[in-house]
Amino acid sequence: MTESVAPAMLNAWALCLQAGEEARRRGDRRAGTDHLLLALFEDPTVEALLGVSLQQARQALDSLDHEALNTLGLGSASGAPPLPMRAVPKRPRIRDVAQKDRLRITPAAKKVLERASKPNRRRLYVTAEQVLTEILALQRPDPAAVLLGALGVNPSEVRRRLNSATPDGFV
Amino acid sequence: MDNEELRANLSSEDPAIGLRASLALHRLAERVEANNVATAREKGWSWQEIGDALGVTRQSVHTKYNKESS
Repeated sequence: MTESVAPAMLNAWALCLQAGEEARRRGDRRAGTDHLLLALFEDPTVEALLGVSLQQARQALDSLDHEALNTLGLGSASGAPPLPMRAVPKRPRIRDVAQKDRLRITPAAKKVLERASKPNRRRLYVTAEQVLTEILALQRPDPAAVLLGALGVNPSEVRRRLNSATPDGFV
Repeated sequence: MDNEELRANLSSEDPAIGLRASLALHRLAERVEANNVATAREKGWSWQEIGDALGVTRQSVHTKYNKESS
């Protein structure tokens, strides 16, 4: 891979914190794989790869929740507004992640990040493509897989686009 | 909706949807709490009063929500 096409490296801590804020916005205490997927939109190539926007993805999560609450007869109760998100530093320091309530992620989300950064020399840095590849491999009922299904995103189609964008692939 | 209908709905549904509904309820409760804590602070409630209303200590409400006001 030549320098000019080297994909932008994302700081894994920053990604976790951003996923955590996406979780917080909805009222979740831990960031799941679905929130990790939302956090990936920080990299502008992800929107093009998936063919959906961050707003659409958030809305899809809301409507999935709405449908689920409907089965309990509580559809009309799902109107509480989302919570404000806090700004996340681009290069978090240890004190940013050491605060107890930040960096709470689900085991599945942790696994995705670990697998994504495995081939890298510096494990702290991953590309959006690497994380996306791991997320695409997830199966229902994983929340990210459910979200991609609700968005009508075809994982194998995205994988094909990923492989043509990065010739050496990350599979 | 009466209880029987609710129970019928709960048991007949796909667990994937039921489990999602449970999480969605958590999220909803969390948002309702956070929004109302913010409103209470705006109205001049003390952390002690909010803690009393939620049945927890003032320290735990303060630790959880203090950062948002700053």
